Amino acid sequence: MSGTGPVRRIAEMLIRASCRRLPEDQRAERCREWSAELPAIMDDTSIRLPILRAVRALRYSAGISRTTRHLRRASGHSARAGRAGWRGGAVPVRSAAPGSRLTIGVIVWLVVIFAAVSLLRAHPHPNSWPFILFLALAAAFDAFCLIDIARASQVRYLPKWAWALICLAQCPGGGIVYLSLGRVGRAQSAPPSSAQRP
Amino acid sequence: MCSLGLVKLTGPLERVLRVLLADPVAPHYGYDLMKAASLASGTLYPMLARLQQEGLVDSQWEDRSPDAGGRPPRKYYRLTAEGARVARLELAHASTSPASTRRVAVRPAHGTPGSAL
Repeated sequence: MSGTGPVRRIAEMLIRASCRRLPEDQRAERCREWSAELPAIMDDTSIRLPILRAVRALRYSAGISRTTRHLRRASGHSARAGRAGWRGGAVPVRSAAPGSRLTIGVIVWLVVIFAAVSLLRAHPHPNSWPFILFLALAAAFDAFCLIDIARASQVRYLPKWAWALICLAQCPGGGIVYLSLGRVGRAQSAPPSSAQRP
Repeated sequence: MCSLGLVKLTGPLERVLRVLLADPVAPHYGYDLMKAASLASGTLYPMLARLQQEGLVDSQWEDRSPDAGGRPPRKYYRLTAEGARVARLELAHASTSPASTRRVAVRPAHGTPGSAL
């Protein structure tokens, strides 16, 4: 049990923070329910190493954060009611038309290309820092897009493998087109569609 | 009436229903269900909330004072009578429908040659 005290306190803190998202009438009860599960995790003898139990407890409270976000969306008390302060009552779902999103995407792409070309002109050697920086950024961006495609429950217009190929074929461009056109926002992907389930 | 209504029978839901149905009157707490159905808390609790909203699952607080053994009281879940009926129907339906049209949560039975995977 040594060393589990602070972890449990951190996990409880995370749960309390997540519960603040809930409507007031559910908050206290849910917080009590989820905090009461922590001793079961911390004393779970089927997990041998204390560190793994600690990881489990922290993952548990991370899942609670996802749960409260979900419950807030599902209940009538949506983000609009709870966070009118900084959203100003705007609908939280990104819902721009495909045309305008593609325009934004193309502008971003042009800016990236322009920045890359001008920087590389200033430092033309292949092992200078901008060159390596751009390679690293490009690889990171591609990885981000591919992971996003893999984790998305559904994508628009094209099948997932086609979007993945496009992302790989043209490094920033393909990814930008995917993000502006093919990506379905988390909030919009919530309603399940049986056709997309493999 | 005889369906899960808004709740769609997906792999995780199927696993939870199987665990709950294994002993319909036994109460389960959250971590217990997480382990038995091997689900993350972020998947399990929204599902339980939905099932509870539909009246298929009910919950009650453990009957003990908070300072009895140092452990705070837990909240236990179990299927309602209606929930048990619906779960049996849905699971029976799921196991007879072709594997290609749904997510398979359990391994298909052996000795079924020609079952499409």
